[in-house]
Amino acid sequence: MASLGTSRRNFLAGSGGTLLTLRYGSLSAAGHAGGTYRRWEDIMRNKWTWDRVVRGSHGTNCTGNCAFNVYVRNGIVWREEQQGEYASSTPDTPDYSPRGCQKGLRHAKYMYGKQRILYPLKRVGERGEGKWERIGWDQAASEIADRYIDHVVEAGPRSVTFGLGTQMLLKRATFAAFARFQCITGAELPESFAGVGDLPTGIYMTVGEPLLGDTIAAVFKSKCCLIWYCNPAVTRIPDAHFFWEAKYNGTEVITIVPEFNPTALHSSKWVNPKPGTDAALAMSMVQVILSEGLHDTGFIQEQSDLPFLVRMDNGKFLRGIDLGLTEDSADQFFYIHDKNTNAIQLAPGTGFQMPIPGAPPVLETRSLDLGDLDPALEGTWTIDTPSGPVEVTTVFQALKAECDGRYTPEIVSEITGVAPSVIRGVARTFAESEASMIFSGYRVCKWLHGDLMQRSFMLLLSVTGNLGRPGTGLQLWNMPRDDDIAAFAFDGIPPTLRVATMVRWDYSQTNAIEMNREFYGNELAEHYDKYNRIAQTEGNYPNYDDIDWKMGVFMGLNPANWRGSSERWRKDALENLETIVVAAPDMGTTPMYADYVLPVAAHYERKDMLLEPRTPYVQAMDAAVLPLGEAKDDFDVLETFARAISERATERNIAPVQDNYQIPVSRDFKQFHALYTKNGTVTSTEDILNFMIPLNEGLPQVPFSEMARHGIMKTNDAEDVVYGEHSAYHDTMIRSTRDKKPYKTLTGRQQFYIDHDWFLDEGEALPGYREPLEVEGYPMRLLMGHARHGIHSMWRDDPLLVSLQRGEPDIYVNPVDAGGRDVEDGDLIRVFNSFGSFVAMAHVTSAMQPGMTFMYHGWDPMMFRGRKNFGAVIPTSGLIKPTSVAFGYGHITYRSLAFEPNLTLADFTCDYEKYDS
Amino acid sequence: MTDKQVAMVIDLNKCIGCQACTAACKSLWTDEPGQEYMLWNNVETKPGPGYPRYWEDGGGGWNETGTGLKPGVLPPKEDHGEEIALNHQAVYFDGTETRLQQERPMGKGANWDEDTSSGDYPNNYHFYVPRLCNHCTKPACLEACPVRAIYKREADGIVLVDQDTCQGFRECNKACPYDKVYFNYMSGKSQKCIFCFPRLEEGVAPACARQCPGRLRFVGFLEDANGPIDKLVNQWRVALPLHPEYGTEPNIFYVPPILPPKFDDKGNFVADDDPRVPMEYLRSLFGPKVDAALITLHEEMEKKQTGQNSELMDLLIAKEWKSLFGIPDVKVA
Repeated sequence: MASLGTSRRNFLAGSGGTLLTLRYGSLSAAGHAGGTYRRWEDIMRNKWTWDRVVRGSHGTNCTGNCAFNVYVRNGIVWREEQQGEYASSTPDTPDYSPRGCQKGLRHAKYMYGKQRILYPLKRVGERGEGKWERIGWDQAASEIADRYIDHVVEAGPRSVTFGLGTQMLLKRATFAAFARFQCITGAELPESFAGVGDLPTGIYMTVGEPLLGDTIAAVFKSKCCLIWYCNPAVTRIPDAHFFWEAKYNGTEVITIVPEFNPTALHSSKWVNPKPGTDAALAMSMVQVILSEGLHDTGFIQEQSDLPFLVRMDNGKFLRGIDLGLTEDSADQFFYIHDKNTNAIQLAPGTGFQMPIPGAPPVLETRSLDLGDLDPALEGTWTIDTPSGPVEVTTVFQALKAECDGRYTPEIVSEITGVAPSVIRGVARTFAESEASMIFSGYRVCKWLHGDLMQRSFMLLLSVTGNLGRPGTGLQLWNMPRDDDIAAFAFDGIPPTLRVATMVRWDYSQTNAIEMNREFYGNELAEHYDKYNRIAQTEGNYPNYDDIDWKMGVFMGLNPANWRGSSERWRKDALENLETIVVAAPDMGTTPMYADYVLPVAAHYERKDMLLEPRTPYVQAMDAAVLPLGEAKDDFDVLETFARAISERATERNIAPVQDNYQIPVSRDFKQFHALYTKNGTVTSTEDILNFMIPLNEGLPQVPFSEMARHGIMKTNDAEDVVYGEHSAYHDTMIRSTRDKKPYKTLTGRQQFYIDHDWFLDEGEALPGYREPLEVEGYPMRLLMGHARHGIHSMWRDDPLLVSLQRGEPDIYVNPVDAGGRDVEDGDLIRVFNSFGSFVAMAHVTSAMQPGMTFMYHGWDPMMFRGRKNFGAVIPTSGLIKPTSVAFGYGHITYRSLAFEPNLTLADFTCDYEKYDS
Repeated sequence: MTDKQVAMVIDLNKCIGCQACTAACKSLWTDEPGQEYMLWNNVETKPGPGYPRYWEDGGGGWNETGTGLKPGVLPPKEDHGEEIALNHQAVYFDGTETRLQQERPMGKGANWDEDTSSGDYPNNYHFYVPRLCNHCTKPACLEACPVRAIYKREADGIVLVDQDTCQGFRECNKACPYDKVYFNYMSGKSQKCIFCFPRLEEGVAPACARQCPGRLRFVGFLEDANGPIDKLVNQWRVALPLHPEYGTEPNIFYVPPILPPKFDDKGNFVADDDPRVPMEYLRSLFGPKVDAALITLHEEMEKKQTGQNSELMDLLIAKEWKSLFGIPDVKVA
């Protein structure tokens, strides 16, 4: 392992060398000078000493990936400190240093905490009882291998899932190792993107990719930044300073969220709509902008489908086939009315066929460039077609009519509770600022109609021309490209990576239609189920109905905490499994219900590489110390599994199993280890890293050992604050706004009008507002968000951080609501609806909007009475809206990790009362 | 008077209450038995009782003429909360208990009132205030110590409790009006923030400042003309001590908070001259000079909003992180 810097012990002993840390000369002059010698001062000086410094990070799905120096003393990690060597992207923006948070700063303590799993455990009591026998790795691996083989022989490879969780997913080599293992075994990998309600479907519907994000310094370049239904002061601790620095720099930072959250507190303005009404608010701002003529005509003419012609008789786009064209792609030719020639013209860049997965990319020659065209935004025309005259108008005109009819500030004020003057004021500031952005998180995605919210945000950005320039855009995240991961995973083996749509899996496996019936009524339940069944039979969705789920192996994830309404999923799905294996650094609900629990290396005990788009840096994680107890890193855990499976299959002489699902493959257990290790040539995570780095042009081309010496290194093609095509990330927006390449949507444009039949039927062809669902008879909303003092369930049980909260899970309630229920601050309350109930401590604060409660998510069920967390009142896991499973319409068709239904978590109501234990 | 006085400016408009400073301090200096309830650095929500609870009501400090100490009460240990272990072993590995929780209730802890807002929604208000020893120019703790265990270093003005001399009389605990001296129940000595003097002697900023991801703590000597401390405290006068009326002349200064505008009863924004945080409350924290400080901050922010330059805003933005710590060309070995 790399060791950095001279130890301070040696430094103090006079061996010279320098401190690997921050020095500043003007203060050091004070050192040791003058005064009486005091022995105790030397004791304190000696406390601040260490043996070596190693570069590390935490690599969890906070996606912070902050650069840390890890200080090792006497063979253990003593403490950590932010590395602090980030520079700025451009001279006119602040630098990124230092980056970190209290969780990162607790890790040296937490990794030695009592929740750590130190050696393999085999269950001896009931599931969930916490009674174990300590066993060795050999026994554990051999028994698990036997069970695995038995399940696959009996019920096929898909009867086993290997779930890789968010704690490990961001570690790139770990993910690659995992993906390779999946391809070899044919096991299902439940995805944890839409499966946790994080997929930004509305962005995908608009531009054909789900994540648009620049570096966080883009915030400083905006002049108007709407932080919308999002709480970066809590969820983006390392980067939040950019917002307040932008405010000091003259940016109008406006937080739009029902509760006075820690982000609102520091903003220039706070706008407080009622929960779930954000789309109405955004549409009203669009109404103000269009009616006052503040829109960016040139931008929407070129970049959006707003000038496209739509038939007034059936609400469909005017297409080439309507005009009698017969080419294959004639149904994907779209038209505008050109003011210069006063005639309809083919919209540049249309005529698009979706790429076939796995096929070589086709060179993009089409362009959005309008040339001499001047598309009309408004008007109605009669077009002669082979089937007779057709009345057409533009999407823009239809949108304007919709806005004027439904979304004037006066109407929307009634829906949102936001005053018309505020709506108009924010809309004007947004439209008139030189660069405006919307910073939003994954919380929006968790509403059933979160797609409509995001589509309306995108519309607001588009009509004001605020996409594809520094300081603009819908800033959420940017997904690192995964060519290097795929290259390792698929090297020499058939690409049978089976990424399961978690929500559809659970819909099939937990009888979710019944839950929908009970809480949302027969009509909705059957309506939704009908579309799901059509998607299942006619779309290309994988079928999970007939999987006989036998075995779950969960690595670095805690699904019993949140999946499918928590306890319900645990009882209805997880506990039905014949074999449950959990490999994790720390105990929690899911390992408690496992049959085998295996110890995994914590963040400072392993090597890997992390990409985090909020800074233009790649982060190396080096191993500061050996894994605690008998822990191994994930590569080694999988290698141990693969070896044991091959050995047991050989000993038992098990024949290969033919796997004919999708790509036919013969699963030869005896070969698993050779395949996984590429015939023994890949022996460690570091080997994978050195395989991957040369395949990623966005990375500095150095061996991992070199990267680990630096900790962070700048990535390529991240000029200014925006990622280019040779970067490690996606360049979605500038590819189209600067280079005029069509978007990856059916229309080739930012697509705001989706004339798919299901969208038309649902009234969702245009962005708009639909009311959030409620559980009838219960008045209170329970909103949730990522926590300040934990990352999901991680660090939630750190003794210091728990003591810096209330010692147990708390829920924020408004004093007016609490008073009406005889509840005082610090009382335990029972939160309930007809689905179930849980108990938490009331935290009374007037920061909450009356009628709502708020709870930071992620508290592990183990910390609640009866192990029932908030999932007990969330009956939403069967809510799969029809448009989210639509198919056969350009980009609107099932694509794993891009277009699939989200886990819904917000559309319910509840009530609460004082809890009498 | 000391040769030089080390000082810190904390910008409350950047503090997000993340407690990274608290964690950084805790791991470095107070992770030993007897120190569980000590947070030499803490962050508390204001208005609120803070840590220890109701510390502002505990007396101490100097009388109005600065000639003698005011009586102070010993802050009760239970008003601090403390770091308490959880029953991990019993629940997770022995199966003898079913719910994961603290081994005993912690009482109302150091951050019990996190985000507990004052006033009524939607015109409620609160903000975060990090607190540490003020390394006062007139330390009441030093004055109160009967055995002269407390001293103020000539070279940098850091106030320290000599652990060899301290006899545990706890007079300092009573005298400090900020309740920032703690009694170690294991060693029987009083202990407090040492402004990370071992780091400072090597030219490294204190852990709470160096490890603040919010980039909101400026560190330097008061006497360094045109250093960030001098500029913010003496030139721009936007950084003020907490409770100057306590008379100890603190050397930790705060840039007062500006919250978003209130709403009138129709939901329209209200003008700046009726701020969300009542001026009365801000005056009670930072003294009468807070009015002028806020006016200056507003004026300078407005300059930036209208495209003009502002030295003050640039200083607070601190484009270069290292500029928070005195000199711009800080080396990293």
